[in-house]
Amino acid sequence: MKKVRALVLTGYGLNCDYETDYSLKTAGADSHRVHINQIISPASLQPKNSLDPYQILVFGGGFSWGDDHGAGVLMAAKIRHHLGEELSSFISEGKLVLGICNGFQAMVNLGLVPAFGMKYRERTVALTYNDSGNFIDTWVNLRVNNLSPCIFTQGIDTIELPVRHGEGKFFAEDERIGRLLTDNQVVLTYADRMGKQAKGAWPANPNGSLGDIAGICDPTGRLFGLMPHPEAYNHFTNHPDWTRKKECLSRKGKVPPSGEGDGIRIFRNAVDYARENL
Amino acid sequence: MPVRLEIRLKKELLDAEGYSIKRKAKEYFGYEVERIRVIRVITIEAQLDEPQLERIRDDLFTNPVTEKSSYSPLAEDFDWLIRVGYRPGVRDTAGSTAQEAVEDLLGITFREEEAIFTSKLFEVKGDIQKECVETIAKYLLANEIIQQWKVISKEQWDPLIGIGHITPKVIIAKSPSVSEIPIESDEDLEKISKERNLALNPRDIPVIRNYFLRDDIREKRKKMGLDLPTDVEIEYISQARSDHCNHNTFRGLFRYRDLSTGEAVTVDNLFKTCIEAPTLAIQKEKDWVVSVLWDNAGVGRFDDDHLYVITGETHNSPSNMEAYGGAITGIVGIYRDPMGTGLGSRLILGMYGFCVGPRNYAGDLSPHLHPRRLLDGVIEGVRDGGNKSGIPTPYGLLLFDESYLGKCLVFVTAMGIMPARVTGRPSHEKAARPGDLIIMCGGRVGKDGIHGVTAASETFSEHTPAGHVQIGDPYTQKKMHDFLIEARDEGLFSFITDNGGGGLSSSIGESARFSNGCRVDLDRVPLKYEGLDQWEIWVSESQERMTLAVSPKNIERFMELSRKHAVESTVLGEFNDSGYLRLDYKGKTCAYVRMDFLESEFPKWEFDAEWIPPVLRGLAEPVITEPTGYGAILRTLLARPNICSRNWIARQYDHEVQGGSVIKPLVGKNRDVPGDAAVVRPILSSLRGIAVSQALCPHYSAIDTYNMVANAIDEAVRKVIAVGGDPRHLGGVDNFCWPTIQFDERLNPDGKYKAAQLVRANWALRDYCLAYGIPLLSGKDSMYIDGNLAGPYGERRRVSGLPTLLFTVCSVIEDIAGCVSMDAKCAGDLVYLLGKTRDELGGSEYYQMLGYTGANVPAVDAKRSFQSYQLLSSAMKKGLVASCHAVSRGGLAVHLALVAMAGEIGMDLDLGAIQADKGLSTSRRLFSESAGRFIITVSEEGQEAFETAMSGSPAALIGRCVNTGSFKLRRGDEIVMSEDVMALKECWKGPFGGLV
Repeated sequence: MKKVRALVLTGYGLNCDYETDYSLKTAGADSHRVHINQIISPASLQPKNSLDPYQILVFGGGFSWGDDHGAGVLMAAKIRHHLGEELSSFISEGKLVLGICNGFQAMVNLGLVPAFGMKYRERTVALTYNDSGNFIDTWVNLRVNNLSPCIFTQGIDTIELPVRHGEGKFFAEDERIGRLLTDNQVVLTYADRMGKQAKGAWPANPNGSLGDIAGICDPTGRLFGLMPHPEAYNHFTNHPDWTRKKECLSRKGKVPPSGEGDGIRIFRNAVDYARENL
Repeated sequence: MPVRLEIRLKKELLDAEGYSIKRKAKEYFGYEVERIRVIRVITIEAQLDEPQLERIRDDLFTNPVTEKSSYSPLAEDFDWLIRVGYRPGVRDTAGSTAQEAVEDLLGITFREEEAIFTSKLFEVKGDIQKECVETIAKYLLANEIIQQWKVISKEQWDPLIGIGHITPKVIIAKSPSVSEIPIESDEDLEKISKERNLALNPRDIPVIRNYFLRDDIREKRKKMGLDLPTDVEIEYISQARSDHCNHNTFRGLFRYRDLSTGEAVTVDNLFKTCIEAPTLAIQKEKDWVVSVLWDNAGVGRFDDDHLYVITGETHNSPSNMEAYGGAITGIVGIYRDPMGTGLGSRLILGMYGFCVGPRNYAGDLSPHLHPRRLLDGVIEGVRDGGNKSGIPTPYGLLLFDESYLGKCLVFVTAMGIMPARVTGRPSHEKAARPGDLIIMCGGRVGKDGIHGVTAASETFSEHTPAGHVQIGDPYTQKKMHDFLIEARDEGLFSFITDNGGGGLSSSIGESARFSNGCRVDLDRVPLKYEGLDQWEIWVSESQERMTLAVSPKNIERFMELSRKHAVESTVLGEFNDSGYLRLDYKGKTCAYVRMDFLESEFPKWEFDAEWIPPVLRGLAEPVITEPTGYGAILRTLLARPNICSRNWIARQYDHEVQGGSVIKPLVGKNRDVPGDAAVVRPILSSLRGIAVSQALCPHYSAIDTYNMVANAIDEAVRKVIAVGGDPRHLGGVDNFCWPTIQFDERLNPDGKYKAAQLVRANWALRDYCLAYGIPLLSGKDSMYIDGNLAGPYGERRRVSGLPTLLFTVCSVIEDIAGCVSMDAKCAGDLVYLLGKTRDELGGSEYYQMLGYTGANVPAVDAKRSFQSYQLLSSAMKKGLVASCHAVSRGGLAVHLALVAMAGEIGMDLDLGAIQADKGLSTSRRLFSESAGRFIITVSEEGQEAFETAMSGSPAALIGRCVNTGSFKLRRGDEIVMSEDVMALKECWKGPFGGLV
């Protein structure tokens, strides 16, 4: 089978690299954790890694540069400054980019999403401070927009994942929110436990995101950013209710949950797509 | 001329930070403010031209979607303006990342005198007096120890000038110098000790003098150009001899006397007899105990290929002074211990324990920080320290008591994991070898943290030096952590330890013991700013630094990796086998001390310990007739601060990062009731897990500290077993926090009693660790949890904290799929109570609620209990248990209610069915805090198998889960209470439900 190579960025305060790498491997990728400096390559560092051999690039979670000047801001500046052109060709070759939490914040600041009109440098939306004013760790219910071109969420209708952030409120001018919706670039929205749209209500919408937006993609669906953490649902025991589900199902004579968590599906979609198309 | 960039959120966006300050102003002080909005200020003191300034404004510091910014003042439409910025020398992380980004973007390097500083402006709108604005500035926004503030009125404001240019640079107009210390007499040295705040023990003084007056030593020193001891040497010795570093109290001699029996016994060294001896005995029996009692943390076996590392400590004094800074420094600091254990481990989790005064304290005393503000600060400190380190914080405790007004307790605990072998060598072993280079890596050295160790060894007073407060920097440390793990895996160093208390003096001093000597060039130490004296460089506790030994053949690769990770590493000198610790500054020797000096000849500390048994102290059981309003008592108990929900804390902490969360801090149907223990899967490709829990029971100390410790150990053990922990693998960590035990007629008249309390606590530690087979993998002691608080009449009152032990238990779980949570699962399930309920309400929450202490403190029958824990554990392994919960503070009624509330399910239970003392009254059945008990639910089909598995244990079937939503307790036919489960939950969530 064709090998799909994935690159997970590390260093400078990023921190979800081990589990993101594990999730990609579980999904079938040949995944590598690579320090940012190794690809932006100051002359003193050898060997330099190039983006070229990879089909999937992941900006993972964490606190890049401590996040004191807005989440993902300095990360985006560094990448734009040192990797701008390489990244542009990566994208134009039709390869996949995933940004999770801090990585989503960085992608938004880079302009990789939503990239209206395929303009991959324009900052048009933002992720800003949660309405609560505080960091929150909680599991959320998410609805997937089936009309979105997003590669990563194909075949998924709803999914539960944890959010863990202080700056996850999706914000943009009304007109841009409207455009995201009509162009089906809104991929994930926060919902309540019954799967109904959260409509801004806390805690189903944990941060006050406009339009309950939790994740968006570029017009091609190959670049995807989301606040929730799919890599943190890599095993069934990650789910907050697994001990309850296990008991309830076994009482009914059904098979209790086991194996992978649902978050892996997002990575598998990417790996499968890359294998077939890249 | 510096320039000032101001940045603010656009008007249409909610300013969440400003809003939360407005809310706190109302909550803390009752001030009604119309609006508060925040302006971020970046002050740039560097030679940048106009286009460069515009470029960094656009590309780095302004989000065009949400923010506007300007190099001219932005403040408008306010009544008052508050500026808050750091004091000179305080770590400004945002300032240094800003500088890093500017340098990178513009391709320039700042000159020595150039820098970027961050500060904030707060626009306050509202009809409010200047004094009130100052209160907000002083008590909500700034902490005067590390920050400076200024209030400007609308009238004073000049929109052209703005706030002015404030650059908090450290300028020390003196060159570094070494001074000699006179040691003509003991009095001389004692005077110096007081003046320099060295906290030298008077009995150490003659030993120090004798050393420096010895002919052979003087001869050798003369050859190095030294005569009298230098300040570097005296500072070094005082650090090394401090109670914090040397554990003089635990290694001391105790003359213990029981005042009722007259029985007297001399205890030589609590550490040796109660910690070391039992741990070594247990290590012989348990092959999973890998490395204990010598390194920065203890090491246990996780599986054939991995070892886990655990340790815990406290950061009380600094947190008491500056809650946020103290707590973040505490949590980030404890993470360096596993990093510096063996050849270094990767951090996998952190935990917290906060003991503070009542959140709504309104009494006579004025603590340095009000408990509410202090608690907010420590919560936020641990939040930023843990979250920004990428380490999950899945467990923690919070306890309120007025005794902690004197000094709060901030416990931090950390675990790491490492491969069992690193390039073929066992990873838990390390040694600095002669010829190895001494490397310091991570942060730089400044004046911060000087004399932290000696301050922690003293009672808090208005003279405590403020300089020891600092702000931990998780970002710098995370970079260093990633670097060191990579360097470890390449086998690039032979020794690693952290710079904590005592700074280089203790990290290099201790590591040089392995090679038996070292030579250091103090002038090579990278400094934050010029002007530090040699002794300051040597003892500074500036954070985020590790000390390593690297062989010269590996140094090139080591430095290359260091650059890749953007971490500063510096060669400071080399280890040797000279038998001397030698420090040079620009070629001149300023310290030359024999390596064996600190191990020799110092007199033991001695304590008189007088135990006054509870009866002699007048403690007795209260006289209370049987109440009738059982339901009302339960509702009241559930809303008490030490029982009620504190979910707002756990939710601020990232407990899922690293992707291995198995049992979370909050569990149950609505994920809102605390789990007994946390379980994580540290190696994602393995099904093995680590379970960990903590317990503290200081309220029992009012009766007998022996029982306090016994109950803390038993509770922590049960909580770990309740989630599926293995009773054959229980690793312990003991963290003692004790008031001053040295008797002083005037200042500490009950010191002898407090000393006896410490002895008894240690006896219990020894007895119960042996009984349960718990090696003490790690532990720390923090004495002096006292404070002298201002009262309303110009007096100061001594407040001593309750003698407190935080006990941590960890275990390895073979298959996490067998883990169990505490919430009741399904209607129809059977409810069991394991363990006997006795007349043991002394020190209980119920008695406390009624204003009593009582006398019958719970006793732990370790032998019987442990047998039933083993049975329960095997029943759990067979999958027979649907939920399991350890009964602790509050007693049976509270904990049955928690199990029902977590499952959001009713219960119908018979209190007559429990195993109890004969004739035990209903209220005692409900509220006794007897140890050794579990609440267990089992499916109907599992009944027979469960009862067979538990046969011979005191497990009693007491009722069932029902889907009526009603929590119904009977005693035979008589209804004791019938409460709505969701209504109970509302009571329980009530007190802190509004906090986020």
